[in-house]
Amino acid sequence: MITRFITEVNTKFNPFSAKSRSARLFLAFLPPTARSSGMVINTQLLPKTSTDPSSLYIKFKDGKEMNLDPETMAIKSIVEEVDRHSRSLQKAADLE
Amino acid sequence: MPPRLRCPTARGMGLGSALGPSSRRVPTLLILTSITTQPSTQTRPYAAAAAPSISVAGGLNLPDGYVPPTRPPTARPADARKAQLLRTYTSLLRSTPLMLIFQHNNLTAVEWAAIRRELRRALAEVQTPTPPPVDFVSKIQLQVIRTRIFDVALKVVEFHDPSRVAPTTVKTASGAKTTMKFDHDLSEAAYEAIKAATASGMPESSQYAELSPLLVGPCALLTIPAVSPAHLAAALNILAPSPPAFPAPSRKKNPGYWDPIAQSGLQKLLLVGGRIEGKVFDLGGVRWVGGIENGLDGLRAQLVHMLQNAGLGLTSVLEGAGKSLWLTMESRRSVLEEAEKPAAEPAAEGEGEKKE
Repeated sequence: MITRFITEVNTKFNPFSAKSRSARLFLAFLPPTARSSGMVINTQLLPKTSTDPSSLYIKFKDGKEMNLDPETMAIKSIVEEVDRHSRSLQKAADLE
Repeated sequence: MPPRLRCPTARGMGLGSALGPSSRRVPTLLILTSITTQPSTQTRPYAAAAAPSISVAGGLNLPDGYVPPTRPPTARPADARKAQLLRTYTSLLRSTPLMLIFQHNNLTAVEWAAIRRELRRALAEVQTPTPPPVDFVSKIQLQVIRTRIFDVALKVVEFHDPSRVAPTTVKTASGAKTTMKFDHDLSEAAYEAIKAATASGMPESSQYAELSPLLVGPCALLTIPAVSPAHLAAALNILAPSPPAFPAPSRKKNPGYWDPIAQSGLQKLLLVGGRIEGKVFDLGGVRWVGGIENGLDGLRAQLVHMLQNAGLGLTSVLEGAGKSLWLTMESRRSVLEEAEKPAAEPAAEGEGEKKE
C-alpha cells in the first residue's frame, strides 16, 4: 500500500465485532515510521456491547478525504481504493 | 525469527553415517558377525537385536535414532515449531488467569525492547499490602503470538475434553497389544473435537466465540500468572494509560518512559481486550478489574462490610417494629389504667407517673 500521501487516518471500531476486521488490518498496514513522518492516526475503541458501525476516514496530502466503510469492504478493496488515489498523486509527484 | 540452525541429527543420524565407520555401527556389526560365524550356537538372535535397535525382517538393523533421508528433521528451532507453539499456547491458556490482548501495528525491535523495559520497571515497583506467596512478577511477560495457532489452541482448550477420549488398542514394536489413550492436545481426538465443535456452529456463549473476533491481525499477549489488580494497574499505566484512573508515569519520575522510541512504540500498541479468570472483558472491563483496590482481599473486605451493614439495618428494622408495638401498648395501658382508677389515691398515681 502506498502510504506516503496519507496525512490523517481516523478509525473507530468495536474489536468484539467480526466486522471490525478490515479496520484493524488497515492499521496494521501502516508503516512503522508513519507517525514520525507526520501522519496523524486516531483510533477509537468502542465498548463490547456497542452496536455502532465501524468507520475509517482517510485524508490525503492534496486534501482529498475518503470515508470508507470497513464493515462491508474487505481489506483488499480498501487498499485498492486508497492506492487508486495515491497512484495519481505519485504520478504527479514524479512529473515534478 | 532466530537464524536457521544446522541440525546435528540430520547429518549424524543418516543412513550413510549408520553404515560408515562410527561407534554407532558397533552393536549392529557384532550381531551380524555373531549370526554369521556361529549360526548353530545362536539360539535367540531376536533378543540380542531388540536391545539396542529395531530389527526389521530380513536382517537389516537400523539404529534407534535413524532418520530416513527423505524425511529429515525440521530445521526450525524447537520452540518455534507449530506443534510446540500449540502446546505452549494451550498450557498458557489453561494456567494463566489474567491475559490482556494487544494489537501491535509494526513495532520495531527497539520499540519492543523499550516497552518491555518500562513494563518491567513499573511491575518491580508495585507494592501490595500482603506480599504474594509466590514471586510471579518475573514471570509476567509481553509476547507476540502466532494468531492462527493461538486461535486453534483456544478451540482445543475449550472443546477438547481429554477425560472423554476412549482408549485405543495399539500394537507395540514387539507385536504385543496394549491399550493406550491418546488424549493430548495434538492428538486426533483433539482435532476431531474442535472440528465437530466448529461444524455444529459455535454457541454465542462460548469463550472462543467471544475471543476469536479479537484475534485478528498482529496480536500480542500480556500474561500475568495471578489475578493481581495492583500489577494489572501498573501494566495499564504503562501500556494503555488513561488518566485520571491510570496515569502514565511523570516525565520527572520516569524519563525513560517519555523517550521517543518508547512513546512511538506505545502509540502503535492497542489494547483490545482481556481474558480474566475465563471471562472475556473489553477495555472498560479490564480497567474496572485494574481499579479494584487492595486486590481480592479488598473486595472481600467490601463484601463483609456490606453484609454487616445489611445485618445492622435488618436488626434495627425488626427491633423497631417490636419497639413501636411495645411503646403503643405501654402508652395504651397507662391511659387505660388512668381511666380505670380516676378516684385512686394520689400516692398511687404518683407511683404510676414515676413508672412512666
